[in-house]
Amino acid sequence: MKVIDRSITAWQTGIILFIILFANKILILPSLLYDGAKIESFFIPIILFCFDFALLFLFYKIKNKFPNQSFEDIINQYCARWVRILVYLAFAIFFFGKTILLYNVTYIFSKNMIYKDSGNFIILFAILPVINHLAICGLRVLGRTAQLFFPVIVGITLFSIIVGIMGFNSVPLFFQVNASQFFLTFFKHISPFGDTIILFLFMDKIKIDKGQWKVVFSLFGLACFLVVTIIIVFLISYTYTSFMHPFALFELMSYVKEYEGLGRIDLISMVIIIIFTYFHLTIYLKAFMASFHGIFNKLDWIYSILTFNLLFLVIVNFFVMNLEIAIFVGENILPFITIFPFIILPFIIAIIFYKHKRRRIS
Amino acid sequence: MEVSKKIEQIKNSLHNSIDVASRIITKNGVVIGFIYLKSITDVLTFSQTLYEPISEFKGNIDFDIITDLVRGNDVKVCKDNEETKNILNGGVLIILSNSDKILSVDNLKYNSRTPSEPPTSPVILGPREGFTEDYKTNMTLLRRHFHSEDLVFQDVIVGKSTKTQIVVCYLDGIADKKIVKQVISKLKAIDIDGIVDSYYIVSLLSNRPNSFLKQIGQSEKPDVISAKMLEGRVAIIVDNSPIVLTVPFVFLEDLQNSNDYYTNYTYSTLLRIIRLIAIFMAVLGQGIYIALQLFHYNILPIKYLITIADSTQQIPFTPFIEILFISLLFQILYEVSLRLPSYLGLATSVVGALILGDTGVKAGLLSPPTVIVVAIAKIAIYVIPEQSSQITLLQYIFIIIGASLGILGIIGAAIYFLSYANTIENFGAPYLAPFSPFIFSDNKDGILKVPIDSMTYPPKSFKSIKRKRIDEGN
Repeated sequence: MKVIDRSITAWQTGIILFIILFANKILILPSLLYDGAKIESFFIPIILFCFDFALLFLFYKIKNKFPNQSFEDIINQYCARWVRILVYLAFAIFFFGKTILLYNVTYIFSKNMIYKDSGNFIILFAILPVINHLAICGLRVLGRTAQLFFPVIVGITLFSIIVGIMGFNSVPLFFQVNASQFFLTFFKHISPFGDTIILFLFMDKIKIDKGQWKVVFSLFGLACFLVVTIIIVFLISYTYTSFMHPFALFELMSYVKEYEGLGRIDLISMVIIIIFTYFHLTIYLKAFMASFHGIFNKLDWIYSILTFNLLFLVIVNFFVMNLEIAIFVGENILPFITIFPFIILPFIIAIIFYKHKRRRIS
Repeated sequence: MEVSKKIEQIKNSLHNSIDVASRIITKNGVVIGFIYLKSITDVLTFSQTLYEPISEFKGNIDFDIITDLVRGNDVKVCKDNEETKNILNGGVLIILSNSDKILSVDNLKYNSRTPSEPPTSPVILGPREGFTEDYKTNMTLLRRHFHSEDLVFQDVIVGKSTKTQIVVCYLDGIADKKIVKQVISKLKAIDIDGIVDSYYIVSLLSNRPNSFLKQIGQSEKPDVISAKMLEGRVAIIVDNSPIVLTVPFVFLEDLQNSNDYYTNYTYSTLLRIIRLIAIFMAVLGQGIYIALQLFHYNILPIKYLITIADSTQQIPFTPFIEILFISLLFQILYEVSLRLPSYLGLATSVVGALILGDTGVKAGLLSPPTVIVVAIAKIAIYVIPEQSSQITLLQYIFIIIGASLGILGIIGAAIYFLSYANTIENFGAPYLAPFSPFIFSDNKDGILKVPIDSMTYPPKSFKSIKRKRIDEGN
């Protein structure tokens, strides 16, 4: 099976990054954050996006040092084979774990808000063929399709925020939690972040001219701004009842459900959540495929797709299909996986930089 | 050369077809033979320009004198084994007993209609002429737009049985030479028994011949083809077809209409936005309606929900069967009205609209909202008639998806088909350019249309020779 990942431009890279930065953050996260750290919780995404920015900066540095090489080649060049396998295994676990978390939250959203009477099967059947097709079509097609939806995504997200702002009715009270509560919540909800490392997996496919980096950084900044704004607007809109509303972006609109002559405008946010879900899952699948290929680089692409689908179907159907389990996994297991993007990966890159420097000197 | 023997030989090579005509005369001991196909030869011109001057000539006849005597347009000496080819192209062959050479005089004539406004693309303002089935007329129509030496015509003959004349037209210095070469080599590589219409070569030129998406541009209007050639595209005229093809093709071309260029640009922009909305309604309208009815009735505003519930509660069919039935009924009526004579077409409309539609609703078999949704979706297809086959196909797919997977499936399918369209590149042009990949300068003539003096450069969606189309100072 051929999966031709042709190169993508700075704009397409920026848009893929923009979209993935919304993953796992616009539905249940704001509600959980409020539950743990009250109104101050909006600092958590700001701090964690700073970590993501550090990862993007690291990517910028490594891409400039090794412009045409893949991350796999770089690790092979400077580290032992087992290091490469472990790193790509960590990539695969990280992205697969996030896929499960994302699917669970979306499933619960769909079941509650879109399909009142239908089961998991219908949602799986709608999602899996599309994400598999997009992943097989390659990175360039994914980038171009994302580019097509980008104005819709930005437009509707901004519209949701503006509508949400209209729902402000009181000023929340600050300083209700102590530092330990804040940092505990910070750790529990670290797992939705760190998606920026996806860029390392497609390093050789990303073609960015010197002057084009600002596009990637700007889109990164815009995504962070929008996500943080959604969280802040949601927290101020619902204040003390935030923990009761698990679907943030949707709830922003449903607060003012029937708006003047426009009717039910919350349908718009529903559409955008579905669009986001498709792209998030596809990007995670592509990341899993690339990780799988990094471990078993002699195997055909079909095995990575089959492995993903098989694991996904088994785990989704038998292990995690309710909100309590999803929250438990998200708060207690996945945070430990996040050690990889925020600590291990930067450490490995630091070693690569060090060895690269020493080789140049010698 | 023995004239009668040669004529017999040529007749045999044409299988003694009944439209092969020959005349033999003798002048001063020289036998002169004429052979031609009376079905494609102008007999009157033949007698006035060939037969009479030769038969009335008083002196000695030889090959050079015959060449001087004939008053034909295209007089040439036949190359070896090309006698049959020349006759089939409307030539009259003149054979002399005192010469080994054979003279061919072009005398082609067949009935062809005069250029008229094509029924598929009428305009309110702007040129009304359309291409005809005669490729020479079509070349003339194009030549009238370009009084320039840059207009180049190159011919390729395709089809073992039909030997159809295909003419590749482009503007030298504007069209990319690689694309021209690619087109010609693709045409030359076609090994087929016959080409009946230009559509025969559409799939043979496409990079993805099995795809249901249209990949080659088509138009019946010389002004449209000229405009496309000015942008750097290559046109392909096929003999016996009034449809001229253009490559490279992007989806946007069908969203544009020649009317857009003969009216105010702000109004053109509005029309394009309306067209885009119409495509959206045509493709997704029925699917969304059925998904809302079957799965997501809870997300409908209460007023709409009451109206729909009120009108559908007595209907014996499921929404899927109902919408599929009305869609199929429309399709049948459409097919019938296309093939029936116009005086019977009115009767079909009465049967369709009044008896089937109105009575169906009154009898409680069909619900009014469903009829309205299907009618809107079906009418909306024809804002872009060039894409009607694709849109109709997508309509049925979205009806099935809407009925089985709901809104999630519809959005998924929309992403699927858009990504599928993104996989298509013909002659280096991405199918959905300039939207994806986004090309800013090409979007000046995309959904929005700017005044013509702002469109400084030709499109960048496909390769053409870089140049300024207009000075900004104008």
